[in-house]
Amino acid sequence: MEELRTNRKWPWPPKLLKWKPRQRVNFRVGMLFLLPWTIGFLAFTLYPMMASFVYSFSIYHSKQPLEWVGLQNYADLLKDSLFWQSLSNTLYMVAIGVPLTLLASFFCAVLLNLKVRGQSIYRVIYFLPSIVPTVASTILWLWILNPQTGILNTLLGYIGIQGPNWMSNPAWSKPGLILLGMWGMGGTIVIYLSGLQDVPIHLLEAAELDGANWWQRLWHVTVPMVSPITLFNLITGVIWMFQYFAQAYVFRGSHSLGYPLNSTLFYSVYLYQNAFLWLKMGYASAMAWVLFIIILICTLLLLKVSERFTYYAG
Amino acid sequence: MKHKNLWLFISLLLIASMLLASCGGGKPKTSVLRVWIQWGDNPQQLQELFDKYTAETGIKVEVTAPVEPDKILPSLTGSEPPDVLVLSGGDLVKSYYKEGLVEELTSAIQAGDIDLNDFFPASLDQCQMGDKILCLPWGTDMYALFWNKDMFEAAGLDPETPPATMEELVEFADKLTKVNADGTIEQIGFLPDQAWSHSDLYVRMFGGFWYSEDGTQLTANSQPVIDALTWQQQFYTKYGADNVLALSSGWADAYMSADYPFYTGKLAMYVDGEWMTGPNFISAFKPEASYGVAPFPPPADHPERANTAVVQGTVAVIPAGAKDKDASAKLLAWMMSPAIVAEEFCFNANLPTSKKAAEDPCFTSNPKFKEFVDLMASPNAKYIITTPISLELNEALGLVEEQVLHTGADPKPLLDALQAEFEPKLQEALK
Repeated sequence: MEELRTNRKWPWPPKLLKWKPRQRVNFRVGMLFLLPWTIGFLAFTLYPMMASFVYSFSIYHSKQPLEWVGLQNYADLLKDSLFWQSLSNTLYMVAIGVPLTLLASFFCAVLLNLKVRGQSIYRVIYFLPSIVPTVASTILWLWILNPQTGILNTLLGYIGIQGPNWMSNPAWSKPGLILLGMWGMGGTIVIYLSGLQDVPIHLLEAAELDGANWWQRLWHVTVPMVSPITLFNLITGVIWMFQYFAQAYVFRGSHSLGYPLNSTLFYSVYLYQNAFLWLKMGYASAMAWVLFIIILICTLLLLKVSERFTYYAG
Repeated sequence: MKHKNLWLFISLLLIASMLLASCGGGKPKTSVLRVWIQWGDNPQQLQELFDKYTAETGIKVEVTAPVEPDKILPSLTGSEPPDVLVLSGGDLVKSYYKEGLVEELTSAIQAGDIDLNDFFPASLDQCQMGDKILCLPWGTDMYALFWNKDMFEAAGLDPETPPATMEELVEFADKLTKVNADGTIEQIGFLPDQAWSHSDLYVRMFGGFWYSEDGTQLTANSQPVIDALTWQQQFYTKYGADNVLALSSGWADAYMSADYPFYTGKLAMYVDGEWMTGPNFISAFKPEASYGVAPFPPPADHPERANTAVVQGTVAVIPAGAKDKDASAKLLAWMMSPAIVAEEFCFNANLPTSKKAAEDPCFTSNPKFKEFVDLMASPNAKYIITTPISLELNEALGLVEEQVLHTGADPKPLLDALQAEFEPKLQEALK
């Protein structure tokens, strides 16, 4: 033990007595500055997390003591058809929505990286939707996607396509939500744009001298060079999509949660419904922990798989 | 040493100040009562109403309205619930009571000398669980048939005569529907689930409900429920559910606007509540609208079911955590007094729950509103049956309704499955 401690560069526990007075003061000031965050973290993050873990093994009564049920909530989840439906709805969004959004934002970023007149104006235009508040943008899209009076189906009508019932057909509600998400992908575009500007010019020029065309330069130089950015966007996108809530909550309009036909009953929406509408806090806590584990596994999997596809220039 | 104490002191001070801040500065004064009203569209008017209580008693009342549904539960479980809470419906009261979140009101009714005979029985029923009273209705809602007279006239129907039977309503609806050459719908005669589900009313018209009358058995797959869904389904299947859905998409969200299909000539008949006839809806958004209101018609072979209606509406509860139960009871009694009920619901055009208040000329002077007042006194006016699983069951029933109406599914197997799933849940919840 003693050996271990002396081998460490950073002393822990801090040996206050051996410190100079100046160091001691610095340490305390540092701790003091950390205090507000620490209290916030302990009281509003760690404690609720641990409490929800405990609740997940019980039936939660707000005024009476917890009723222990062991793994019952978890076992019930496996038998709950709505749980599986909400999970599959969410996986649909993760598997289709996230890659589509990444692809589209990458190409937007490539276009916005071209040296053309008025480029900063285009960048602003593409970024603007992402600063529109979620509820406002979702309500806006309810109008855009209205099958008979909305602008999207009207435009589709001009080219001879009869647009679908975006909001009331269960097969089209999720694609509608993905479109809404892609409209607001400005944040992802900006991150890609910063990555694109870090792609070394000399590599692109060397490729050009070797006779590589635009597509080959993009595929063989740019894409590998921004692969860490792709990984970051992918992981944050996946985590965000697993927790997809606000848009779905607003998108149903005044219909019940999940409308149409539970096609927009996403994992977080069903969790919310159980916890805050049906008062099943224990069940909802179990759902939250299952989601945590799913997200953890997905993230680890992505990190593992990405080792083969990600190139870190440094 | 000196330093050490100073740091300790500052740290403690910081922690203490944060804790104090999070507690909201200690106990509220008992002389202020807090009333939360979930559906208070008009907070200023409500505050002025409760200011009268202050004028009478010197006790200040703070009104919070409207309240988002997801704020209700945290407020009831928290340490500072409102002293009186007015919920948008009785659906959850029994669940709340089971969880120990709301008071049983017998003692409050005695303390406040509240006359239970003054309530319309149909409105009070939703608050009763056995011999316990868990809430008191404060204004209520009922539904009836609305029809657009201009559209009737254009279709060659008598604008003053609504359909007399459910069968006739189907005929009228067909005459009032215009389909374009490409199958899309120009206007529709009747939409059974406009704005939200009205299956409760239709099931009553077919002579049953999805609970037994005492709320102890689930009868979700009984014939009246099947009939009600099948009857509604025809309005979709006849013109193609996709075409009807394309037309009606977004209609529910236009409810409080001049674009509402009933005003724009897109929808000729539908079911809606008494508030529509008041100052805040049709006369605000489309004052020139020419429309009629009548009780929803019964099936042709059951004329005795005329004037059937489902009563549901706002209820007041006293949260279990309310600090001064006596003060809450007194305020509740004041809210239930006929004069206050008359004033509040006259202003907002909702049905008064007090019989004495209903005599106020303001409720009878508007002939359209009077249709509802008369309906309230009908022996066929039934309360909406609520149980501790109401909310979850309604969600599941809503899904079945959507499948039947919007996808043409056969109601029987869906309702059988629902019955099998929820009957044990009901029995478990009633234990």
